[in-house]
Amino acid sequence: MELDPFQKDALAELGNIGAAHAATSLSQMLMSPIEMTVPEVQAIDIADLHKYISNEITAMVVFQIQGEIADGGYVVVSMPRETVIQLTNQMLGTVDADLDREINEMDQSAAIEIGNIMISAFLDATAELLGIVMLPSPPALAIDMAHAAFESVVAQVASDVNDVLIFNTELTSEAPPVYGSIYMLPNTELTQQLFLMLERMMEPLS
Amino acid sequence: MENNFFGEETAIILGLGELRVGKCPMGTIGLGSCIALILHDQRRSLAGLAHIMLPESRGEVDRPGKFADTAIDALLGEMGRAGSTKSSITAIVVGGASMFEFSANSLNIGERNAVAVKGLLQEQGIRIEHEETGGKVGRSVYYWPEEKGRLIIKRADGTCAAL
Repeated sequence: MELDPFQKDALAELGNIGAAHAATSLSQMLMSPIEMTVPEVQAIDIADLHKYISNEITAMVVFQIQGEIADGGYVVVSMPRETVIQLTNQMLGTVDADLDREINEMDQSAAIEIGNIMISAFLDATAELLGIVMLPSPPALAIDMAHAAFESVVAQVASDVNDVLIFNTELTSEAPPVYGSIYMLPNTELTQQLFLMLERMMEPLS
Repeated sequence: MENNFFGEETAIILGLGELRVGKCPMGTIGLGSCIALILHDQRRSLAGLAHIMLPESRGEVDRPGKFADTAIDALLGEMGRAGSTKSSITAIVVGGASMFEFSANSLNIGERNAVAVKGLLQEQGIRIEHEETGGKVGRSVYYWPEEKGRLIIKRADGTCAAL
């Protein structure tokens, strides 16, 4: 799949709006400013995935896209484990200097909650722009090698195609020092639909 | 142990759905629900590795390494052309983990992958020499085909297994 510059721009803009809403909700929750990068949109060949996704231990919160488009693909929030511990501390108001400690149940809940809040905002905003309904499924969580968790998601969307469309935005905050990324992996049908809807939106008014 | 994977030798890293037959060191990084299938011919110091993503090809043929059924056929075919016979080939199966908690749905495809690969190996009459499937952790696999073959599995929880 080759993206032409127009498609790339339109998809990046879509991701931008979604990620901006996700960043706002994260910022409100943490009561701290959040910086975000301009979203990158790439069509990645599945064989090259390991060049883009690290092998570090990462918390991945995964949601299936539901709603008007059934099984439309997945949205993923990924955070390094130190970030998860920072967020738990922030949410509970505890001070925990040991960022190397084992991940516990409270951390898992915190990761899922953060994921929920961010992804609800992300999908709401993108769906509103497109004029459709997109809802997140209940979250699934893996705290493991990022690539190992990611390929399980890719296996679901790439059974009959050899590349996946990946939206990636990084969100960072300095106090508390947290860092995370949002990925969106639309399946083949949703990808086609996205292109159609975006094309229609870009048509000049007559 | 931690860092010498890349240091001591440069293995060829196979991405999702890729397969390769050769005498060079090979590996896959970050196996989740996928399977690393290694077929080894000790007499020729030859090995084939496939990074299998799904159990059935359902007629897709462009990426044989992606599916259990096509990957095994392709590996056996290529090794056969290099002179290996089925009776001299043994298999190692690693991966097929269930990565996600709080998820009852199709994300946990690892188990189906493992069952498919093992069933197909049995059909072909290939002995499984070593198996590490299932569980909840991601794994990286490195394999050196020379002589008896050398295998290292590095798990996400920090433990390693060498064979």
